[in-house]
Amino acid sequence: MERASESSEPVLDAKSQLIDFQWKLGMAVSSDSCRSLKYPYVAVMLKVADQSGQIKNKFIEMTIPQFQNFYRQFKEIAAVMETV
Amino acid sequence: MAALAAEHFAALQSLLKASSKDVVRQLCQESFSRSALGSESLLDITCSSLSVTQEEAEQLLQALHRLTRLVTFRDLSSAEAILALFPENFHQNLKNLLTKIILEHIAICHRVKACKTLLSTVSLPRLVDLDWRVDIKTSSDSISRMAVPTCLLQMKIQEDPSLCGDKPSVSAVTVELSKETLDTMLDGLGRIRDQLSAVASK
Repeated sequence: MERASESSEPVLDAKSQLIDFQWKLGMAVSSDSCRSLKYPYVAVMLKVADQSGQIKNKFIEMTIPQFQNFYRQFKEIAAVMETV
Repeated sequence: MAALAAEHFAALQSLLKASSKDVVRQLCQESFSRSALGSESLLDITCSSLSVTQEEAEQLLQALHRLTRLVTFRDLSSAEAILALFPENFHQNLKNLLTKIILEHIAICHRVKACKTLLSTVSLPRLVDLDWRVDIKTSSDSISRMAVPTCLLQMKIQEDPSLCGDKPSVSAVTVELSKETLDTMLDGLGRIRDQLSAVASK
């Protein structure tokens, strides 16, 4: 996952709102290509409502390092929000 | 693939000149990468850390390479199987150490392979980019003066690559987050982090 870049403007198509955030911490134990695994992952579901009120679910799966990076970026945003 | 010859096991004994187990481990780990054979710098490191001649260093690295290739070829994964490769009179402690190091290496390769395959086969969409910007709302048609921070967050999500063939589709989701929403999210993410620590400590 790339670092958040403050200098690139996010495309402002429509301002959707995040109305729910669900998560799951799982462990993959086996797959068709790898019989024995011990692979933890974080699965997140974001419920987003657009301006018309239509709700969309966005699923994301992350490895643990990716999750840690994700968390760190949100902490960064919160810190900035505190200071402005 | 032929098993190791007596001269290879003899070459491995150069490792006995190492000053510590860590030196042995480091040398082995360096030699495991495919680019190790023929690497000038690895040869130099081996010479200096073991105080051996270039020829002895070369023979050692060749022997290590052969040993790990044999383990891979025969798909050995247990200590017993690897120990059995060594001759009866081989230095016991060195044999045990080498076996341990090789097993560690196998475990790492396995994990890397698992991660790679998992990330490319059955899996949910992945977050490939996260961009954000914090704005301050200073006024609106209903409130003339205010200073409300708000975050604009854009996430780029890539759909499951195995379903999309060569060109996995990337969709962008842009949301506006108030401080309250952000705090709630942080709360949730903090709980995931706590759970991870709890699982890790088990």
